[in-house]
Amino acid sequence: MQTMIRYPLTIAVLVAGVGFNVLADPPPGQVDFGKIAPVPGGEFVEIQIKSNLLSLAAQVVEKQDPDAARLLRSVQLVHVNVVGLTDENRTEMEKRVRQIRHDLDAQGWEHNVVVQEKDGQDVGIYTKTRGGEALAGLAITVIEPKNEVVLINIVGDIRPEQVAALGEKLDIKPLKDVGAALKDAAPKK
Amino acid sequence: MNPSSLPPVPRRSAGCLWLWGFLAAPLLLLVVLAAGVASCFRLGSDARALRNELIKSSGVEWRQQIALNAGCLTLGAVRAGLSCVKLDPGARAALQSVRNAGVGVYQLPSGTPPPDRAAMLAAADTAMTARGWERVVGVIDGQDLVTVYMPGKDVSSHRVKCCVTVFDGSEMVLVSAQANLEPLVEYALNQPGLRAQARRLTQR
Repeated sequence: MQTMIRYPLTIAVLVAGVGFNVLADPPPGQVDFGKIAPVPGGEFVEIQIKSNLLSLAAQVVEKQDPDAARLLRSVQLVHVNVVGLTDENRTEMEKRVRQIRHDLDAQGWEHNVVVQEKDGQDVGIYTKTRGGEALAGLAITVIEPKNEVVLINIVGDIRPEQVAALGEKLDIKPLKDVGAALKDAAPKK
Repeated sequence: MNPSSLPPVPRRSAGCLWLWGFLAAPLLLLVVLAAGVASCFRLGSDARALRNELIKSSGVEWRQQIALNAGCLTLGAVRAGLSCVKLDPGARAALQSVRNAGVGVYQLPSGTPPPDRAAMLAAADTAMTARGWERVVGVIDGQDLVTVYMPGKDVSSHRVKCCVTVFDGSEMVLVSAQANLEPLVEYALNQPGLRAQARRLTQR
């Protein structure tokens, strides 16, 4: 009798566990940019480095460089999208970026840096803080009307000054640039 | 029926079995050898699935230039063979790292219109995702298409698998490999200056 009760209970717990796992919310710093498909004739770059690869990189450098390993372990996701603008997708992409910014504002992200250049370049840097000093997420949106749209999302437990170092480690140029911008924007001690 | 009336079952003598074994062994060895040699010219299943989807989605005919595969036995034999030879430390580290590697080169016949790289990328994504791989990098730039896939789970520095495709508009190179990164990374990090540079970067 006890066994008859135990098995269904175990199965129920497992099913519930799987269900919760599937329905689990993404980390607070993660941004859903939506499905971005390349268009014919347009440039397209997508880099998505998840925690499994980041922890692999951390494992690899652990012995020789514990600081770098710690930095890599503090990040859960690095997602970079660069989409070239063509007549076919320009309006849709610009609209999508505005929608992403609107959603971030609505979700309580801090809008740290807004740069609107004369040539139409429009940069938005958003941060989601965790506690006082660390970031749970960083989202960057760049519209270069003539060329491309750049979307970057970093999720983890990161300090702003680490972003540039992360860009160097992963050799992702937009991250290096953003790291430098964040460093400049940070209040001087 | 009286059991004693059954015809006697002929019993094979031990000598006869030995003879069969003696005759079958070279044949079996030959089959194994042939399979081993054939596998050297056949990509692994994941790389084959990726190649098939890329080719199918491109909608054009491709010419296979080469397809080579070296499994752990072949690479182990190469490692053993070269263990006494004086090799560049970098080359030795690379040899020690790679556990399995395959490469395929495919060419479009001249005059073929360029295939839709966006469709190729989408098809490759579908095929690889179904096999538990994730796209880490996808680039479409001009005529070029670059993809890097890695398994979604079970990634460790002892056992890293990846599938890389590079298509430049006329030729597609597909590389799949499985490696233990530690010897290679140890070699790289022991290069003079590299460690100092890495430390400088993290302290910025």
